Amino acid sequence: MLLNVENITVHYSRLPALRGISVSVDEGEIVCIVGPNGAGKSTTLLSISGVLNPTEGEITFHGKRINGMSPEAVARAGISQVPEGRHVFTSLSVEENLRIGTNMRKDRSDIEKDFKHVLEIFPVLAERRKQAAGKLSGGEQQMLVIGRALLTNPRMMTIDEPSLGLAPNLVDRVYETLLELRKDRGLTLLIVEQSSERALTAADRLYVLRSGEMQLEGNAADLRDGEKVRQAYFGFEEGTTHEGEVAF
Amino acid sequence: MDYAIQTIISALSLGSFYALGALGIGLLFSVLRLINFAHGDFITVGAYALIVPSSAVTATLLIGDFHPALLVLCIVGIVVMLAILSYFVVFQHAQKSSPATMMIISFALGYTLQNIIVMIYGGRPKAAGIWSDLTGQVQISSGVSVQLLQLVTIAVTWILLIALVLFLKRTRVGIQMRAAAEDFRMARMLGVNGKNVIALAFILSGGLAGIMSLLFVTQTGVLKFSMGVPIMLFFFIATVIGGMGSLVGSVVGGYSVGIVSVILSAILPEELRGFRDTCVFILVIIVLLARPQGLVLTKAAKERV
Amino acid sequence: MIEANTPLLRMVRYFWPMVVLCIGLLIIVAAVDSTGDIILAQTLTEGLVRMVMVVALYMFIGNSGIISFGHIAFVLIGAYATAWQTCCPYTRDMFMPGLPTYLLNNSHHVVLAVFLAGLLAAFVALIAGFAIMRLSGIAASIGTFAFFMALYAAYGRWSTWTSGGSTVSPMEETTTPWSALAYAVVTIVAAFFYARSRWGLALRATRDDEIASKAAGVNVFGQRLLSFVITAFFCGMAGGLYAHFVAAITVDSFYLKMVFITLSMLVVGGMQSLTGAVVGVVALSVVIDVLRRLEAGIGSFSLPTSSAEVGVGLIMLLILLFRPSGITGNAEIYWPFKGDISSSGAMKRQS
Repeated sequence: MLLNVENITVHYSRLPALRGISVSVDEGEIVCIVGPNGAGKSTTLLSISGVLNPTEGEITFHGKRINGMSPEAVARAGISQVPEGRHVFTSLSVEENLRIGTNMRKDRSDIEKDFKHVLEIFPVLAERRKQAAGKLSGGEQQMLVIGRALLTNPRMMTIDEPSLGLAPNLVDRVYETLLELRKDRGLTLLIVEQSSERALTAADRLYVLRSGEMQLEGNAADLRDGEKVRQAYFGFEEGTTHEGEVAF
Repeated sequence: MDYAIQTIISALSLGSFYALGALGIGLLFSVLRLINFAHGDFITVGAYALIVPSSAVTATLLIGDFHPALLVLCIVGIVVMLAILSYFVVFQHAQKSSPATMMIISFALGYTLQNIIVMIYGGRPKAAGIWSDLTGQVQISSGVSVQLLQLVTIAVTWILLIALVLFLKRTRVGIQMRAAAEDFRMARMLGVNGKNVIALAFILSGGLAGIMSLLFVTQTGVLKFSMGVPIMLFFFIATVIGGMGSLVGSVVGGYSVGIVSVILSAILPEELRGFRDTCVFILVIIVLLARPQGLVLTKAAKERV
Repeated sequence: MIEANTPLLRMVRYFWPMVVLCIGLLIIVAAVDSTGDIILAQTLTEGLVRMVMVVALYMFIGNSGIISFGHIAFVLIGAYATAWQTCCPYTRDMFMPGLPTYLLNNSHHVVLAVFLAGLLAAFVALIAGFAIMRLSGIAASIGTFAFFMALYAAYGRWSTWTSGGSTVSPMEETTTPWSALAYAVVTIVAAFFYARSRWGLALRATRDDEIASKAAGVNVFGQRLLSFVITAFFCGMAGGLYAHFVAAITVDSFYLKMVFITLSMLVVGGMQSLTGAVVGVVALSVVIDVLRRLEAGIGSFSLPTSSAEVGVGLIMLLILLFRPSGITGNAEIYWPFKGDISSSGAMKRQS
């Protein structure tokens, strides 16, 4: 296993946000965590990236314990996170944004190559290289943060809701890119999504999280008909689903 | 006309001084959300470092007698050390506190520093002049003469500003600092070392304070344990008016406050001139209400204030 | 063991923290009074006057969550307003020639003067708060600070009413340990009831979650303003008491040092509890007094000058850094007997 999250519990002040959840991701896998609002998906990612500190349990990456490490140390260990809400540095130029990602790398010679590669994947970023990142549209900003995360040369990338606030065709474009990256570079991905439909098509394996507890895990292929997922997601039997509860 | 030129130059000189001070506060606020009320006391410590530590009534210059280059180096070094120390000993442990609590912490630090100075040097003001040549007047055209120090202050400020801009725009650490100022958590997730960035901000802020110690002592020629407080208040006003967290805002705020004070002193009728400070502080409240993000808008400030 | 859940017992339990604090202060005052030590009595009086300020500060900061740097402005207003009514009846027109004729020719009894001074402070708070209480978080704190500085600068220059930077004196030293105790007790009782009133509750809701409290129908601005005005009233009275304690006032007595000392006391005790406010004042007063005595020297041993100030600064830093909830941990005094806790308000942690 590349990443192993074992039985972690996370508290916000005194309230538990995650109760004993476990997630594992293998080298080269695409794993998705889905769940309704407030399920603890972002909390899980923030715990992995060192922003939050689990009160119990352990997180290992390449067999090395990473919980308790600072966010920058986790990043240096090879996990790059694209958090929810994009977080571009609006006052920095597109290029400066991308270059921040390369700061911690030791392999100077490969940086320029990767930089060119990212501009090839996202040609729009090349066009707007010198512009302030705040001037980009939502979709372009999403590409910028993914490109920026790639430039840290991660072994694994975690992405929080890549489809949030994007038009459907842009979401397709983002997912295509992610799949290509896995194919070309063997990038390992841990994606969090609210809707399981997209996750099921892209992921190898799926976790369903609700109210801070893990409800279901399995191979995406086995869950494709969606019934089990739906039950785990809503927490009740089919037939009692309320109209319009969550866009599925 | 001659009077106008003199007024403009003193406004620019005062504005430069405030801009440097506001920048020292803005640098820390941008990465740490700390309004450092001890900044003025850093300046005081730098000034006292010029003389021999003793409670004697008359001051004896120590570092103040060094060769100017060495003198600058020593004083800046001492204040930078103090700033760094204040980070590692004090503020590092307060990073999770609210901005208001951090403000009280810096208040407590400043109060302690002031009283340590009283303990070592005594509470009475002391005369301690350095570089008295700079306080002389220079003729810049027929009929217009200004204090040389005012020109030096303006020049020093602009050299420092340009150096700082180049540092922030052209160097890797500088870009990291700008990123961290805007979104500290995201910068760390990209491998930017948070502690280093904050320590660097303290170094820069301390360096500015050290230079200001020298400008200030040259101007006044007097040391007093509380000398940092009144100027600190103006830096603080400048930071708020310009927009907290924005470095450009700090500079704009510093110049605005300097220029407005000089103009108010020049145009207010005699009986109202005394109320200048009151007007300036009321202006702060108005700015907070009307433009809480300050005169210069930044994304960071919008989220923070 | 007291077990029965009688209405009387429930009432005692409800008022328990307030009762203990007031009786504790009463014992201290009585004890100091019986020693006849004049210096000690003065320290005690000063402590009790500060108690009024700090408890008022707690009423505002503890319930609203906004750290105010501005309440000493009300102390300043109160001190001068009292001086206008009581100071130096024969030379008042020399010190403060700008006063209206009525004030120049008439003096009020101290108790009335102090009360009116409190009202004036409350009135100024109403006007200033109308602007400042619209702000939130650090901007509100900065607003209170700017207000304080504006007022301090104005009083320093307003020489026909305040004699500028020079001293206004003499006032009768009517503030004794016992009279100061009376005001401290009144303030503590008021703070206790305010915290348990619907206004106090609403204000704490805004402290814990401003947006949620708004959604629940709390008028955030109104509640903050109300608290600002009420606490300004007590600070104004404290100013009057202070003037009649030191007998001579200058604007500089009400500057950053006083802001710092009062805030320190509150922080050291615990910002969000009444017990914290009271304990903080007592603890820091004792520390300052002991350090002052050591500074003055005992036998051949003495501490260097300003040790007391450095000591206060360091204690403040240590508490803020390593125990931000203060000595009391923001808790009130517990009901010490066994029994059904849930029916008792005394046990409730406010944090």
